[in-house]
Amino acid sequence: MAGGTKRDYDGNVRAKSVQDLPRGRFHAMFETFRDELDEHYDRRERIIKASRDVTAQSKKIVKQPNQDFPKGIQQDIDTRLGEISKLLSGITADVQSINRYRYSFSLRCLEELVEALSFAHYLRHQTLITLEETQAAVPADIMLTPHDYMYGLFDLFGELMRFATVTTAQTGELVGDYERNILSDIQELGCSFEMLPQVPTKDFRSKVEVMRQSINKVEKLGYGLVVRGSERPKGWVPDMKDDDHRPVSPV
Amino acid sequence: MSAPPPSLLDPSIFSSLEAKLQEETQVRDTLSQLVQRLDRAVATAQGLLSRVHSTPRARYPALVAQVEAAVKEEAAIISELEKVASQHPFYKYNQKWNRSIQHAIGTTIYCAWLGGFPSSSPSSSSEPEAASKPAAEIGRLLTLEEVGAIFSVPTNLKDRDAFHLTIEEYLLSLVDLTQDLSRLATNAVTLGDFQLPLTISAFVKDLFAGFQLLNLKNDIIRKRADSVKYEVKRVEDVVYDLSLRGLIQRPTAGDTEMESA
Repeated sequence: MAGGTKRDYDGNVRAKSVQDLPRGRFHAMFETFRDELDEHYDRRERIIKASRDVTAQSKKIVKQPNQDFPKGIQQDIDTRLGEISKLLSGITADVQSINRYRYSFSLRCLEELVEALSFAHYLRHQTLITLEETQAAVPADIMLTPHDYMYGLFDLFGELMRFATVTTAQTGELVGDYERNILSDIQELGCSFEMLPQVPTKDFRSKVEVMRQSINKVEKLGYGLVVRGSERPKGWVPDMKDDDHRPVSPV
Repeated sequence: MSAPPPSLLDPSIFSSLEAKLQEETQVRDTLSQLVQRLDRAVATAQGLLSRVHSTPRARYPALVAQVEAAVKEEAAIISELEKVASQHPFYKYNQKWNRSIQHAIGTTIYCAWLGGFPSSSPSSSSEPEAASKPAAEIGRLLTLEEVGAIFSVPTNLKDRDAFHLTIEEYLLSLVDLTQDLSRLATNAVTLGDFQLPLTISAFVKDLFAGFQLLNLKNDIIRKRADSVKYEVKRVEDVVYDLSLRGLIQRPTAGDTEMESA
């Protein structure tokens, strides 16, 4: 039985033998569908590829600030952001108008990007990045949806938690100044999210759950400092192997 | 860490997020209600259509008339749905209704296959049948555009973001149709109609050939389209049983090589 169109390694259609299939009644109609679907699959593939690369770059941006703030970091972030904006520019045409939401699942890299941007922003300014500020980092033709923004911020909790853990281990206190520290910040942010109306999706619920765990870990950190602060040997790392074995990050 | 930041976050961030989420909830609720009504209308049409399995061909027209009325009910709800859905990004919410729409399309093409929605417009794409049988033609396939015309909604929109019927929905409804037709082939024989399985067999085979033209990825269409070959086989088995017992006319000489042997 003849399969679909044969393709070579690069995905180019191979020439088909002419008497391959008799021209059925619906041949022309299905050919139209095939072309439409091919277009759709190709577009999706391009988006997925770019998305994967943007995700990788975003994750590297996140990784950098966590290892302290030496000089070259800003430069490194800028290079990566430049790379990301180049990648996104390549698929601008694919995500216009009706296709923006069509491929939002394939374009989840934007969440990762928001995560990276919001973390860098927090480290620099100790404030929460706004939707407009994140939009500024992507090409203007690619709309950052409130969904991307919100789900990206959910991931910020994990980063804050890691950051709090590392810095607490290094300095022996919760980082922060101006009467605020990372514990109060993560709590305040958590409260804001808790106040939001629930979205009835599995994705949302799991993000909220992970967010609560991250907050909980930072709270335990603060508790540990008060209770065992004086006994803490240098380089002490809080015991994170706590009671629940739920995943730390949703992906 | 220079100038002291006043606070962690600008409260307007979350108030605007909250407003967005509330709006989404409202849209979802409205859509859910419409989809629920559509589902009920579709169920009615499907219920009527299921009677075809125990209806002799002579009584198809009466049944088809009932189904046509049910499809018009669907069309009325779909046009309401269109008005609401077109106010929002199509693909943001379309998973809410795509199943229901797929089934609505399914009832429409099935109804037309049984002789409903006769092609009145001269621009109809099914000229071969129109010439051969002037009466209720059985075995006509409505195109996606024709279904769109019946529901008065656009199809396969690409240049603007509004409600429409998608190719995916149509293709999946074709798979549903082959399933129902293979059942009909058996039941037609039970009712003494030995010709219908032949019509069905040719139709399902043509659809199958069509599906083979698609370059499907690993998605729902591939998964569903894979089942078409089993329906082809099921109908072929019926035709085989009939021809083995001489219950249908043999194909004329030249149609098969076996004949000359």
